[in-house]
Amino acid sequence: MDIRQLRPSDIPHVQQTNITNLPENYFCKYYLYHALSWPQLSYVAVDVSRPKKTPYDAPKIVGYVLAKMEEDPADGIPHGHITSLSVMRTHRRLGLAEKLMRQSQRAMFETYSAKYVSLHVRVSNVAALALYRDTLGFKQGGVEEKYYADGEDAYSMRMELDYLRNEALDQESDDESTAG
Amino acid sequence: DAPDVLPANAEDRKAAQAMSSLDAKPDEDAAPKKEMDMKALNDAMKNLGAAQEPKASATAGSKKEEAPKKLVKVDQADVTLLAEHLDMSKPKATELLRAHDADAVKAMTAWVTAAV
Amino acid sequence: MAQNSQVLPGKEATLFRHLVQNYETKQYKKGLKAAEQILRKHPNHGDTQAMKALILSNLGKSDEAFELCKLALKNAMKSHVCWHVYGLLYRQQKNYEEAIKAYRFALRLDPDSQQIQRDLALLQVQMRDYAGYVQSRRQMLQAKPGFRQNWTALAIGLHLSGDLAGAEDVLQKYEESMKHTPSRSDMEHAEAVLYKNSIIAEAGDVQRALEHLDGIYKTALDRTAVMEMKADYLLRLDRRAEAEKMYTKLLKRNPEHRAHYAGLEKALDLDRSTKEDQEKLGQAYHSWAEQSDRIDAARRIPLDFKEGDAFRQHADKYLRRMIKKGIPSTFANLKQLYSDSAKKETIRELVEGYLEEEPQANGGAEQSKPDGQTNGSTKAQIKPPKLDPVTTWQLGVNYFLAQHYDYHLSRDLTKAEKYIEKTISINPAKSDYTYHLTRARILKHRGSISEASQAMNEAREMDLKDRYINTKCAKYQLRNDQNTDAVNTMGLFTRKEAVGGPLGDLLDMQCVWYITEDGESYLRQGKLSLALKRFKAVYDIFETWQEDQFDFHTFSLRKGMVRAYIDMVRWEDRLQEHPFFTRAALSAIRIYLLLHDNPELAKGGGSANGESAEGAAERKKAAKKAKREAEKAEAEKKAKAAAKSQPSKGGEEAETKKEDQDPQGLEAFKLAAEKPLDEAMKYLQPLLELSPKNADAQVAGFEVYIRRKKYLPALRCLLATRALAPEHPKLKEQDDRLKSALDNVSEPLPDKVKQVIDETYLSKLGSKTSAGEGRSDT
Repeated sequence: MDIRQLRPSDIPHVQQTNITNLPENYFCKYYLYHALSWPQLSYVAVDVSRPKKTPYDAPKIVGYVLAKMEEDPADGIPHGHITSLSVMRTHRRLGLAEKLMRQSQRAMFETYSAKYVSLHVRVSNVAALALYRDTLGFKQGGVEEKYYADGEDAYSMRMELDYLRNEALDQESDDESTAG
Repeated sequence: DAPDVLPANAEDRKAAQAMSSLDAKPDEDAAPKKEMDMKALNDAMKNLGAAQEPKASATAGSKKEEAPKKLVKVDQADVTLLAEHLDMSKPKATELLRAHDADAVKAMTAWVTAAV
Repeated sequence: MAQNSQVLPGKEATLFRHLVQNYETKQYKKGLKAAEQILRKHPNHGDTQAMKALILSNLGKSDEAFELCKLALKNAMKSHVCWHVYGLLYRQQKNYEEAIKAYRFALRLDPDSQQIQRDLALLQVQMRDYAGYVQSRRQMLQAKPGFRQNWTALAIGLHLSGDLAGAEDVLQKYEESMKHTPSRSDMEHAEAVLYKNSIIAEAGDVQRALEHLDGIYKTALDRTAVMEMKADYLLRLDRRAEAEKMYTKLLKRNPEHRAHYAGLEKALDLDRSTKEDQEKLGQAYHSWAEQSDRIDAARRIPLDFKEGDAFRQHADKYLRRMIKKGIPSTFANLKQLYSDSAKKETIRELVEGYLEEEPQANGGAEQSKPDGQTNGSTKAQIKPPKLDPVTTWQLGVNYFLAQHYDYHLSRDLTKAEKYIEKTISINPAKSDYTYHLTRARILKHRGSISEASQAMNEAREMDLKDRYINTKCAKYQLRNDQNTDAVNTMGLFTRKEAVGGPLGDLLDMQCVWYITEDGESYLRQGKLSLALKRFKAVYDIFETWQEDQFDFHTFSLRKGMVRAYIDMVRWEDRLQEHPFFTRAALSAIRIYLLLHDNPELAKGGGSANGESAEGAAERKKAAKKAKREAEKAEAEKKAKAAAKSQPSKGGEEAETKKEDQDPQGLEAFKLAAEKPLDEAMKYLQPLLELSPKNADAQVAGFEVYIRRKKYLPALRCLLATRALAPEHPKLKEQDDRLKSALDNVSEPLPDKVKQVIDETYLSKLGSKTSAGEGRSDT
């Protein structure tokens, strides 16, 4: 698996992965809106072990995170938001979701000075809840009633990004030592 | 360009809103950034105009019609022949002929054998 | 400006300004009212008529709008407003060429209009008329040099037109006019500077790009980008030690990005093909893998280059680790190695060997001795599976072998079935359908399409809340031509309020795979009109994707994310190269060819071998049902909309979606039958232009051209197929047909054409076949 930034040319397959796995779907233009507004924040996991059939094979996307910065945040604090995250069922247990999220979170912090990242999750989605809370360290906030089109409620969750400050400091001291 | 169905929930509504304002006009009444030296900017622009024009036309492919290729005279009958038998537009046929010294057989041979 | 009779008195002039505002804020109903109010007193006021036309066209009444705008032009030939609107109407119909003409006319009448100039520029970049775009952007810059966007836009135009030096110069000039450096958080500046750097590199001046990058490195906001750029430049300048450091840093940030490893290999100057370097590489990857237990790439990559015993040892380690962890994609992750038959055999031997091991003898994956025979150290699993290690191991081994024997390069379906049944029998999780899914796939490969569909449905029923298995089930139903079942299955997860039911939602959401599979199923069943309708829908989705870029020509300037915008433009240029397009296009062309060869098909409602009475009845029933559902959804939607106070976000443009007037595609099919080859060309042209190395595209191209009696293009396709796929099953037959066609041309070909055919084709046949004689006809 290759984990890298999402490019516009990935969108058809990201869209396919999304509609294969999740009930919330978007048209191409909405993906473009993300990719062209905050190109640093969205990532894909590509199955690089697929034998090519033609020279035109598009990279097969087995997971993605589609992320953005909140525009005009109500609390006035710059923060990121996860629009959509999914990994193909066939590619579970590789930690892809976490790896995708970590890349996105760092970019939110580095490029846009995000203080935290927020997301919504269906109250019934136990697996996703566990991922966000236990693996990634998100805190569960309130419930947003009837958040989804089918009437289901959502938990809103968020995670502070200050842990990245320390990482960035490490990085900088690295930079010094290579420069010196 | 907004979605046809009115979104029923918060998430979709936000998306729809973002999409409907994509083509908003640039805010042109806003003042230029304060760090800009307007006089320098105006001078730079004038220089740009003067320096750019000839340069641009000298660059390959930057002018649409009068491509700066060596102007080879082509026979209109050949243009018609290529357009008909290679199933292409006349401008394309002209271009193909020019690229092959206006030699119809050479041009067609190259085209037929160069698909891959 | 406008003629005297066209000047409005004060009150109406104010009203007209409101009208323009109403249009701009998408308050169309208000705008219409204002327009009508003016027109009552000044029925021939061209500008008002034009504005009214513009609103009408936004409300979907495009014919009426055109009529009115023509009238407006008659009344006010010299009004730039009328010409501008005329252009906008064409633009809405996507007739960009006419739109550009109209804008140009409007601009001649009002050369200082920023609005018209901007609209023109938009169309120019959309149409890739970069020369025109550059010219427009130059004008716009001259009018407003104080805006960075105008400088950036000109640079973009120059860049895309290939004038890299010019683009850099424009960006440079703007920077030089700054009194002091913008703040660190100025995103537009940060991005423009990186954009300039990428242009320097693209022009090939890597040394200067690196120097420039060093100057902006610390302050850049896009850390990943500057690090990647720097690593790349260092490598290209052969400064390998520094490049190695950079790639090492990048890998620390993202140890799963393959390009970083590739860069590192180059920086280390190691060659995968020599034994000595393989060992060094192996060590390098080993030390990377040691960094964290969670890294896969550093463990997986060495399998690509290791050979013989080294491969066996590494594969053993890798497989044990993955199986122990219960990772279901282990086989998917390795199957690429199967093109090397020695590696394929090694993997089989290893995994079959695991079957023989005592269940608890599988521990110590990482620290095990090379031969993997370390005993018993089953450490407690850190991460999930609630399964005990023994079960996990057995599940993994049997599941791997099932997939191994199902794969086409190592297929033995009897064994595959044996192993999948064993896997299922030891799987204790009632809702984990993974193995059932594979069982269905094996059945499919057996050719038991109907059993496969049934098996997949059983898998679906194990976890009804999971869309993935639901999707797979629908796919298998389509493969089994259960189109109605499939759409109902999909309907379990589509939006309930979607117009046109589940299919309507799938079309809206651009679910290309489903539409294509549905079409292919109808094609198999000989329901050609429906099949064609689906392929046309895919074609239309690609048109939409093409159109989608339009708004970003302005949006991206506002956002300042220029590099991503350039990426998009370049992707859109090659959009139809996508395999999704190719697949649908090839099928569509097949149908047009059938239609050309047998025009009678159009009468039979597209049904190839005459539909059975039963089939017709079913079709009618389905159509009725679809209509009922659409009506129901429509009613629900209206009720919903009424119950809610309409948020004003979309203005009033969100008119109700039109119902599909031709759900069976019969009307379109009849129309297509009038000139099927012309229609086929619409699909063929993008294929030949963007996917010329696809042999099937060339084969399809031959079929279309030979029927159109375009012998040179047909020959071109034939020669291409010969070069790409000498063993293509259609090649011999097409060869014969071309020879025969050339022998029997109705009108003699021009000498020059003959000469080309002789030289490139006929003269070369002699040795291979007996040209001109003994041909097998038709």
